[in-house]
Amino acid sequence: MSFGIALFTGLWYWLGQSKIGYTFHAVICQPIVMAFPIGLIMGDVPTAMKIGASIEMIYLGMVAAGANIPADECLAGVIAIPIALKAGMDPETAVVLAVPFGILGVFVDQLRRTINAVFAHKADEYALEGDVKGIERCAILYPMLLGFLLRFPPVFLANLYGPELVQSIMAAIPEWILHGLSVAGGLLPALGFAITIFVIGKKNLMPFFIIGFFLVQYFEINIMAAAIFGTCIALLIVLMRNEERGENI
Amino acid sequence: MTDTLNNVDNSGKNKSLLSKKDINKSYLRWYLACEVSSSFERMQSLAFCYSMIPILKKLYKKKEELSKALSRHLNFFNTQGTWGTIVHGITIAMEEQKAKGEDIPDTAITGIKTGLMGPFAGIGDTLDWGTLKPIVFALAVSFGMTGSVAGAFIPFVFMVITMAVGYWLWNRGYSLGRDSVKSILEAGWIQELITGASILGLFMMGALSANFVKLDIPVVLNMAEGNELVIQEILDSIAPGILPLVVVFAIHWYLKNKGQDFGKIVLFLLAISLLGSFVGLF
Repeated sequence: MSFGIALFTGLWYWLGQSKIGYTFHAVICQPIVMAFPIGLIMGDVPTAMKIGASIEMIYLGMVAAGANIPADECLAGVIAIPIALKAGMDPETAVVLAVPFGILGVFVDQLRRTINAVFAHKADEYALEGDVKGIERCAILYPMLLGFLLRFPPVFLANLYGPELVQSIMAAIPEWILHGLSVAGGLLPALGFAITIFVIGKKNLMPFFIIGFFLVQYFEINIMAAAIFGTCIALLIVLMRNEERGENI
Repeated sequence: MTDTLNNVDNSGKNKSLLSKKDINKSYLRWYLACEVSSSFERMQSLAFCYSMIPILKKLYKKKEELSKALSRHLNFFNTQGTWGTIVHGITIAMEEQKAKGEDIPDTAITGIKTGLMGPFAGIGDTLDWGTLKPIVFALAVSFGMTGSVAGAFIPFVFMVITMAVGYWLWNRGYSLGRDSVKSILEAGWIQELITGASILGLFMMGALSANFVKLDIPVVLNMAEGNELVIQEILDSIAPGILPLVVVFAIHWYLKNKGQDFGKIVLFLLAISLLGSFVGLF
């Protein structure tokens, strides 16, 4: 059982963070998506989904602007979901466990993108020889092999030997550190949302951010309601601007 | 220059060297490989070249021509994988013209690529990553919270939409050539789409920040005569959620003025959280 889940999560992490398929990888890297197969293997889908959703929350707004990832939600998920399930942790504790792995994963990705430059240089040589197959190997095969070496072993080992280890480590860590990590779990979403605001980059439209924020604070509307109101507001503004333009002409 | 190219476009249209299958194959290659070989030094250059291989192999039968074409598409390239695909479409159209014997210098092709990759990356980041992704994924989270399996499948909506948009733009870039840039960048609908998406995106960022960013100060100050001063109550009476709002704005300010070093910000947030927890502030 723990061998099976270790093998599965190791392969999943490799496939996801090798970034195969532009938006396909972005989807399978999400804790909420991987929670389903992990739950299936471990025999408790509803709990897995709840844990996956709680971890997903931290990473909702994270955008890889310029391909620099601010956090590795995939590593956070493949390690925290199975271990939390096995140990019977509540979703809040699972988030505490996920936070450090989400940060660690960023460094693995930086390593990957540094080494990948070697394949780009190799491809230059192949291009001079007109060697199409060589370039194809540099574009897919070599980075995938490198990805396997970087991604598979740590996750496989963590899930094979991790659960007992993690539990004893978590038991030994002082309460203030655990609480500090859960505070960080509440702060990290802010980074994602700030990055997204930065990417959208429309200063004069910031009042819409404030409206969205306090609509939820004062009236406690849920996500679906916010999406409906937001869409209507956006449509109205665009339509009214059009009408104005039409009248002026 | 533009005029002569347009004329060439029209006269050469009846004898296309590339089939629909070649175009589709090259798009699929791009979708698959776009970020796989990404490196700090060259970003998506290898992926760009990889996607062009079926096209270049068909267009350039002589080895030295093929070799030159491959080298020219290994130059630095970076864009957003969905909306940037129009650049590939235009590149394919230009390569086809070149292979037909038109005088298109290498620098013209490289110039178009490097000139357009930025603007379309900006559009794609706003629409896909800034608006569509957080909304779809937030819906998935609200299902997942209840333990529903739907949470795991909703995110694939994002994948399907982006794949379709990329496919459409790729073909549009190819069939319209350089004109497609004008037709897209100057068309009213794209500006409206960006404005609308920016409004929706910012609105949702506000709603999501209110839902998911959490920071409390549970400190209670004991005042004279047994009065207690609860800091959080004072903050809430000003406006609920004022601390999370300050955090989001502070990070945004940092990103804008001090650069986008995400790692540094993450470590700083972690340090603040641990420190705050240690001294009992949070």
